[in-house]
Amino acid sequence: MALFITKRLLMALATVLVVAVLAFLLVHAMPGSPGAVSLGAGASQEAIDEVNARLGWNDPLVVQFVRWLGDAVQGNLGTSLIDGRSVSDDLANRLPVTASLAAGATLLSGVLGVALGVTAAVRGGMVDRIVGGICGMAVALPAFWIGIIFVYLLAVQSSVFPATGYVPFEASPQDWALSLALPVITLAVGGAAFIARQTRASMLEALQQEHIRTLRATATPTWKILYVHALRYASLPIVAGIALQFIGLFGGSVIAEQLFAMPGLGQAVQTSVSTHDAPSVQGVVVIATVVVVAVNLVLELATKFLDPKLRAS
Amino acid sequence: MKLLNSTARGSSAVLAGALLLGSLTACGGGSTQAGTKVDTSTLTLAIDSDSASFGYDPLRVSAAQRQFFEGLYDSLMVLKADGSAVPGLATAFEYNADNTVLTLTLKEGVTFTDGSTLDAALVKANLDRRSDPALSAYSAVAKGGAQEITSVDVVSPTKVSLTFAKAQPGFEKNLASTTGMIVGKAGVTDTASLAATPAGSGPYTIDASTVKGNKYVMVKNDKNADASKYAFSKVIFSVIQDPQARANALVSGQADVAMLTSPTVDFAKSKGLGISQIGGTLHTMVSFDKIGKTAPAFASEKVRQAFQYAINRKALVDALHKGDIPAWNALPKDSAGFTEELNTKFAYDPAKAKSLLAEAGFANGFEFTIVGSAETQTDLQAVQKDLAAVGITMNVKMASSTDEAFAAVATTPLGYAALGWDNPVGLMYGVVLNGFTNVQKATDDQLTAATGEAAAAKDDAAKKAALTKLNTRLVESGWMIPLYESLTNQGYNTKKIKQVEFAGTNAYPLLSSYAPAS
Repeated sequence: MALFITKRLLMALATVLVVAVLAFLLVHAMPGSPGAVSLGAGASQEAIDEVNARLGWNDPLVVQFVRWLGDAVQGNLGTSLIDGRSVSDDLANRLPVTASLAAGATLLSGVLGVALGVTAAVRGGMVDRIVGGICGMAVALPAFWIGIIFVYLLAVQSSVFPATGYVPFEASPQDWALSLALPVITLAVGGAAFIARQTRASMLEALQQEHIRTLRATATPTWKILYVHALRYASLPIVAGIALQFIGLFGGSVIAEQLFAMPGLGQAVQTSVSTHDAPSVQGVVVIATVVVVAVNLVLELATKFLDPKLRAS
Repeated sequence: MKLLNSTARGSSAVLAGALLLGSLTACGGGSTQAGTKVDTSTLTLAIDSDSASFGYDPLRVSAAQRQFFEGLYDSLMVLKADGSAVPGLATAFEYNADNTVLTLTLKEGVTFTDGSTLDAALVKANLDRRSDPALSAYSAVAKGGAQEITSVDVVSPTKVSLTFAKAQPGFEKNLASTTGMIVGKAGVTDTASLAATPAGSGPYTIDASTVKGNKYVMVKNDKNADASKYAFSKVIFSVIQDPQARANALVSGQADVAMLTSPTVDFAKSKGLGISQIGGTLHTMVSFDKIGKTAPAFASEKVRQAFQYAINRKALVDALHKGDIPAWNALPKDSAGFTEELNTKFAYDPAKAKSLLAEAGFANGFEFTIVGSAETQTDLQAVQKDLAAVGITMNVKMASSTDEAFAAVATTPLGYAALGWDNPVGLMYGVVLNGFTNVQKATDDQLTAATGEAAAAKDDAAKKAALTKLNTRLVESGWMIPLYESLTNQGYNTKKIKQVEFAGTNAYPLLSSYAPAS
């Protein structure tokens, strides 16, 4: 097990490094230079050259990357070209917002998806068809449209939830939950449908296994058959689906953050790209990669734990 | 499935239902309605862009960010409710005989958040940053600018003089905007510190709960003598870029005041919210080339006039800018120089446009290229169709970079811009006569004379006469081809906020003007 974890950790590090190199090269391929970006359109070439020289923009790419990497491993992702703030500090403030959003939406979509999927698989017939139809619609509807409808119904018309904004947990746990409610529900709808379909298919397969028949024959309680034995058998693809949901939601939070005016990573990357703020773009890409790689690592470990065959190997 | 009995099927359904209900009620968290909370100690303004995207240096931004920075910084002059500029940090000002030197007398006892105090040396240190190209607020007073300041001299600890490259009557009004804001010593010495820490003497200071780019929280600055003129002890600027989301925030109570776009005004009204509107921003085609350097036809005034007749402004507004106002005047409807005469004189008349083109020697029309952007594309396509009807082929090329968009002023004959006419003299000197819309250095004696008259006008009647002359000539000469005037809309919660008032023709209300509803 230790060897397995070590190997996976090394692969994760290599992945982050490759993405960091790619992000670095792409950022350098963007038009303009740090001097031109930070000084604006009216700047003289001399002033731009001076800033570029100060930031080491004219150094060989390898030298620049090694310098950036050295700083990055110490937690310093550079400073914004636009306002001179620390990129690390800015992202540290934004990460909890996006993480709350993605984790909340994943949790909700996981719980709803599993519940609906199990129900569809167990009840079959009309219930199965209704759940299938709802899931089909939910997957097809764009998240921003769902968000607009929820805002109209639950914020504008009935004032149940706030329409926009984010309240940090430390400021008020209750307001934090309220501020997350609509964006989380918005993002969870499509995810829940996806997981429900996954769960239904896996459960149907699980319920046809011989050991389930044996359990029935030995008068094992039904709830135990369903939620302990069958669900565990079906859990591998479900867990993988939930993890993929988290990764997708983490990377795709831009729309929700825009719609609900939330100060997360999605909003940061949108602003950074539009202003050509290279250090910020690079920082967001690397942080997002680290999160995705970490989730994948956890997923692999969870898979190994859940599947006895993999555990034995 | 047949392996399971009805109890099993029931249990799974109950679980699903319980989870669904549980998740929704957990998210619901009760019936607290943000919209009904009334907190007179806090004013929340929903704005459409990040006013401090460049940090807290007020000199890095234009007049459009004045309202935000008014909270953190005092300026040498201040705007009054009627739009006039009166002494602020400068208690008095006077020009020399030929209007080339402006001497300011400074207020005493002003303390900045960095602990420094106001004196002539600090004002000089601020204005001596004008050569920094990143400082948008100083672009007109930097070397080569239309209102170039050649030197700033300390006369005494409380007096400082500004010497201009040429006469600048009426310059003091510029000092009521970000150009006149004074940064404390720490910010001037270490400008990088302004990225995260303001150094102002304004009525508010930034609170630690601020989240950059999303929510700026300002709390009262007890050291500011005029802080009591601001009704709210806390002001929050909430950045919500999506127009509908801003309207939603206002309706559902997350914001007390919101900048609304015209299409969301009716929605806000239907929810019982107050709306204050002002024009002032003219979306105008601007003749960059008046000498025929990039397109020979543009050297002819008749050709430029033909554009005025060829464009169907009303159809453009009906189709693309519902709620805004078609414009035949270069100056806005509320300007002293506005005249109804232009609305009829240059009314849509394609036959007249064709006739003018023929008189100018372009009976068969001509072709030129204009550089557009994502924001202007649909407007330009509408205009393109109108021009094609009179024989003018306008090719619309989308800018592939900011550099290309900026270069268009020199490489193409016509552009399209949104112009604010709050300060007509400043705009004429800074942009139209000597600035970026006239890199070909065209001249027009009537425009120069009318601008000079407006600058020197001593009373309202003289100002009106001069501005009317200026407005009329801008349109007749075809230097400006106005399309429509967009309205600035401020939606507000009438239960909490008094009717929002604009400062004269300025599109951004004074922060001090927001008051709680009685």
